[in-house]
Amino acid sequence: MRPDRMVEALLFASDAPLSAAEIARIDESLDEQRVEALLAGLRLEYEREGRAFGIFEIAGGYQLLTRPEYAPVLERFDTVPPPARLSAPALETLAIIAYRQPVGRAEVEEIRGVGAGGVLKTLQERGLVEVVARGEGLGRPLLYGTTGLFLEHFGFRSIEDLPRPEDLPVVLTRSVERDG
Amino acid sequence: MDEALPLDPLAVRLERFQGPLDLLLHLIREQDIDVFDIPIARITRQFLDAIAGVERLELERAGEFVEMAATLIRIKARMLFPRPDDDDEEADPRAELVRRLLEYEHFREAADRLAVSERERARHHAKGYVEPRPAPAAHEVPLESTWPEVWEAVLALAERLREPEPGYTVRGRPVRMEEKLTYVLSVLADAPRVEFASLVAPWGTRMHAVISLLACLELTKRGTLRLRQSAPFQPLWVFRRGEEKEADAA
Repeated sequence: MRPDRMVEALLFASDAPLSAAEIARIDESLDEQRVEALLAGLRLEYEREGRAFGIFEIAGGYQLLTRPEYAPVLERFDTVPPPARLSAPALETLAIIAYRQPVGRAEVEEIRGVGAGGVLKTLQERGLVEVVARGEGLGRPLLYGTTGLFLEHFGFRSIEDLPRPEDLPVVLTRSVERDG
Repeated sequence: MDEALPLDPLAVRLERFQGPLDLLLHLIREQDIDVFDIPIARITRQFLDAIAGVERLELERAGEFVEMAATLIRIKARMLFPRPDDDDEEADPRAELVRRLLEYEHFREAADRLAVSERERARHHAKGYVEPRPAPAAHEVPLESTWPEVWEAVLALAERLREPEPGYTVRGRPVRMEEKLTYVLSVLADAPRVEFASLVAPWGTRMHAVISLLACLELTKRGTLRLRQSAPFQPLWVFRRGEEKEADAA
């Protein structure tokens, strides 16, 4: 049996990203490096043949996903649920946790200037953040961090895929003097 | 003195804002104010105007806006009357507010980027998109109760368990299909036909009616009897096989 077809079968059957190490477990002839090479071969093949799907790197693994240009086609099919979007408070809270993790509720609330209990609970229930540690100090507060599902939700390979803080423009600095 | 600006662009619906920082940023943006040189008197006045309807909000959210109003007023006061013990000439009472605004703006920008990534990811569909992956099992929630509270709860439970409520439950005898079959046959042994209602009458419960009907259907299937009804909701008659012709003739 061709090893690249075994890898293909595994990717096809999985509905979540699989790491190279996980994929290598299907056959004793495979190791991580070999899997990476096979994946590269499959990628080329799909591209050459113009397949509607490709292999995407997400959350430290590989996943077969449809190409973005086919999204409108799929969305016309009424069993495909509309993508779930997070609310603005949820996104702000997630951004703070992603950049500051591990971070406690108090710091999140201090930065946003509003209570964060409800949003944190929702994010935790959706598996996007989790308690990763307990802080020092009064009451040993719970500290939150992002999860693998967070990476999956945003299509990040790893937390390194977040835009670097220095690349975020702070719009307020380029404002017009009008009060001077 | 600040010039009064036309207030139209500043007429805000408080509910629209996520919190006081959001509102402040809105006021600053709408008027192209340099965040490093905020006209604090004007912004404070506008902020107070904007939160005039604050009592419409729920208490916690209202508190957040009021707290910011207090901060603004404190800054304004310190700018008008610098404290004599402020040795540092450079210390700008607005500095902390500016830092918070910039920090918040920074994360808002990050949140916008996340929204873009989310939209891009949503354009890729995985196999099995129809049935989304189940969320991971709920995380263990660290215990927040103290031991005395736990003990109190345990003792309360023990108290409740000690005296079981005296009570009796009466269960009806189960209705057996075999018994009903025998009964229906025994009735039909004495009479060529019988009204279904009279088969149930001695007991009168729903369960007896259901089992009796099932028994009659079963016997019909075996060819032992026939069921007839002249029209819906009319009395249902149970005939011994071969007798209904005589009834028709009658």
